[in-house]
This record gives sequence, structure tokens and C-alpha cells, in this order.
Amino acid sequence: MCPHTSLKQQFLKKWIMGLQRCSFSKKNMSILERKKTIKLSADIAMASARNGTTRWSRALISNASKDGSDNRLVQQILGPDSNTPAATTTNKAGTRRASVCKKIVKRSHQIRRRRRKCVAAAPVKAVTSSISEHLVRKRRQVLKTLIPGGEFMDEICLIEETLDYITSLRVQVDVMRSVASACFSQS
Amino acid sequence: MESNAGTTEPRSNLTASDGAQVTALESLHFTDEIHRLISAPVTDSSTSFMALLELPPPQAVELLHSSDSPKLLATSSPNVEDFKGSFHFPSNTGLIERDARFSGEANNSNGKRNSPEPKDLSANPEKAVKSEPAETESSQPLVSDPALEKRSIKRKDRENKVKGSTKKSKTAANESSEDAEKLPYVHVRARRGQATDSHSLAERARREKINARMKLLQELVPGCNKISGTALVLDEIINHAQSLQQQVEFLSMRLAAVNPRIDVNLDSILTSESGSLMDSNLPSLVMPVMWPEVQGNGHRQQYLHQWHVDALHQPVWGREEVCNNYITPENSLLTYDSSTNSETLHANQLKMEL
Repeated sequence: MCPHTSLKQQFLKKWIMGLQRCSFSKKNMSILERKKTIKLSADIAMASARNGTTRWSRALISNASKDGSDNRLVQQILGPDSNTPAATTTNKAGTRRASVCKKIVKRSHQIRRRRRKCVAAAPVKAVTSSISEHLVRKRRQVLKTLIPGGEFMDEICLIEETLDYITSLRVQVDVMRSVASACFSQS
Repeated sequence: MESNAGTTEPRSNLTASDGAQVTALESLHFTDEIHRLISAPVTDSSTSFMALLELPPPQAVELLHSSDSPKLLATSSPNVEDFKGSFHFPSNTGLIERDARFSGEANNSNGKRNSPEPKDLSANPEKAVKSEPAETESSQPLVSDPALEKRSIKRKDRENKVKGSTKKSKTAANESSEDAEKLPYVHVRARRGQATDSHSLAERARREKINARMKLLQELVPGCNKISGTALVLDEIINHAQSLQQQVEFLSMRLAAVNPRIDVNLDSILTSESGSLMDSNLPSLVMPVMWPEVQGNGHRQQYLHQWHVDALHQPVWGREEVCNNYITPENSLLTYDSSTNSETLHANQLKMEL
């Protein structure tokens, strides 16, 4: 994809650098560990290619650096990066906000349920729209679990982050696939 | 171009004081940009769409709309002042005049007329749509496109806001807003016969924003164009995202099966490379280095590929069970097979499958 060449190059460069930094310990690792390292470095390279402009990238980096075992790896890959402390603080604020929002949402759901019971002869349109809203809401929940850091986003942000996330996933898959095919093309 | 000539003429009658003087200029610029856009290397629809994606979502949507929608509605009056960051929503009179004119216009000329606004005067590419300052901040790094698309997109955003009111109401509750990108207000016109209180207007603006982005997502994910209904579209998007994530997993596993010394060589190759890395340069340079180091792990890769194909076909929402399923068989295949013959055979199969 021509317009994404710069992004691909950036991602590839960061990924290779990250792999180099943790490659010295790779001699004795099992294949699963290697796969985890590769995937982690690829994800972090992808996220850092965004330079902290999108929420999912910040959430991904902060999630990776939260975990104790991966922390060292992340620090190695990122180097002296200033993104990580900022990401953690935003996430904490996000969790607090999210818990408050969840209470409010729960309360409003209860109220809505009560109101729906009161409305006896609701027109068909309202009923079908509420069903569709229910379906859409369920799918939004699933989408929130997919996108890193998605639980703290409202609808608009969620869709934007999905857009960005899907494009960067595509770039990641393209680059990894071409590297893999380059590795195995000699036959 | 006759259509341009046709557009310049009505535009000269527009009420905007500033616009008239730059009308001819705009049309000239516009033809240039159209030529540039047409001659730009576009291989297929997906790549052109990817170019679109580098723009902030609302603007990209509007570009799509401007190319797709047969009936375009009134544009805002061309305001030249405050170019750097601002949009100006049309004044009432300008709108009304354009309403009258639009009903008789051809579709193409509509689209073309909408695009040339006085945006070429600013040096910096405009990033902020006035009504949506927030997301432009976040999507700024994505912006890297020719000026024309931006302009038509910004234009289209104004059109979208105005859309509801054209042909309907002169009873607009809100005036067009002035000012810079920092404006927190969203100015939306009330449609005829609809409530004009602030809550419903804000709700409607929000819904329009969401719909615009959903349309963009639909264009992005293949096969979502024909689906109508938000729930099904979201289904497809979820499936697509999950399949992409699974592909990343599989590819990383595949790469893990290769000797790690490859990474160093790749890096040196990269630093020496100046052109695009996705060409055949990469495999050709990597080949003489890789060959002695690649281990025989054909079995694992074959198994991986089977899983890859199977998992992609299933519309499974829970990713966890899929991952668990494929990790446990991998454990049984951890022993490296150093037979080069089988490796070549499997590598060939993989290549053909890909």
C-alpha cells in the first residue's frame, strides 16, 4: 500500500531495533518465549510508531509495562522513553472516571428498564429500536475488549481508535508477512 | 473544462464579499488539483482508500461523500479570512441562494463547486475542522495528504452540518459560527419540524459524528459496504480486527521459528537501504544471509498454517479459546527438525499458500 510506506518503514525499523536489544537473551529461549518476544516487540514498535497520539497505542504500551515480567523487555525496547509515565497516569485517571461512569450508566439502565416496563403500548418502532440498540451495545462491548484501552473510551473515540488500530494492524501484518516470506523464500 | 466554467459563473453571484475575488483563482487551482489527483498513482480502490485514512476521519468521510453522493447540498460561503484554522459556516442568505441554485445543478458540478474554497491560501495544511477540534488533535499525525482532499473534506464537513437544513428550513436556530479551531461549540442547523433545544441538537450532532465515522469504518473493512445496520457492520469490524490480531500471533510464531540471528542482518540491510523496504530488495538481500541459518521446522509451520486458515474462517468472538487450542499442540512440536529436505518442501508449500 503506497501511502503507508513511511509507516511501514518506521514500524520495521523500530521493530528490528527492539528485537536487537533483546536478542542477546534469545539463545536459550523456547519457541513460545521467542514468539512472545517477537509479538511484544512488534506491538510496541507499532504503538510507538504512533508517538503517543492515539489512545490505544498509549494503553498498549502502559499495559505491557505494567506486567512485571515484560517490564524489562519494554524498557529495553522503548529505551529512554517519556511515553510510559504519561500513559500510566492517563490510564489511572481513566479507571477512576470509568468506575464513576459505570455507576451512572448502571443507574440509568435501571431507570430505563423501569420506564420501559411502564410503557405498555409502546409503538413497534420504539421496540425494534430498543432491540437494535441492545444489539449494538453488546457489540460495542466486544469492541471495547478488543481495542487496547478501549474500556475507557466513549463511542466516538472508540470508533476512531478502531479505525487507527485496524490500519496499524494491517501494516503490522503486511510487514511481518513480508519479513517471514523473505526468511523462507530461499528454497 | 465546461463544468468548471459553469461553476465559476454562479459562484460569482454569491453573496460572500470575500469569495468573489478569489473565485476565478479557486477554479484555476481546482482544475490543477483535479488533474493532480487523477494522475496520482492509484493502483486500486483499496490504496486510494488508504490514502483517505491518513486524514482525520470526518474529513475523509466527507471526501467520500463528495465523490459518492449524487446530490450534494449547499456549501458554505467562501470566507477567506481566518484561514489558518477556521471554518466558517454559511450565513443564512448565502445558504438560501445556494439552495435555489443547487436544485438545478448537475451532480458533477455540484461536487466541483463544493471543493474549491479558498483554502489554498494557507501554507499549513488545515487540520482542524471547527466543529470537531478534539479528534483532529489526535489524528494529526495521520494527516499527510494533498491539499485538495483536505479542502474538499473540510468543505464537506460544513455541508454535512448544513445538510439537514437545505431545502427545508429557513428557521435555523443557530447562526453559522465564526472563529478558530478552539471553539468548543458545535453549530448545527435545526431541521424543519424538529426540536431546537440544545440537548437534541447536541445529540443529533453527536449522532452524525458517529455515523460519519461508522461509514468510514465500513469502507475500511472489506465487505461491509453492502451491509446495512449498525449491529452487523460492527460484527464484521469485530471479526476483521480479531482476524488481524490472530494473524499477528501466527506470524510472530512463524518468525519465532527462524533463527534469531536474522534480526541483526536485517538491521544492517535496512540501514543500507534507502528505498522502499517492501520491494523485492528485502528478500533478495536477506536470502544469502538466511539460508545457512534457517532451521528445519516445516512440521510446525504446516500445522501453523492449518490453524491459520481454520481460525480465520470461524467467526469466533472469544479469542482465548482459540489461542489455548493452538498453543497446546505447539508444545508437542517443540523439537527442532533439522532435515533440510523437508524444510524446502514445506517452504514451497507455504509460499504457494500465501
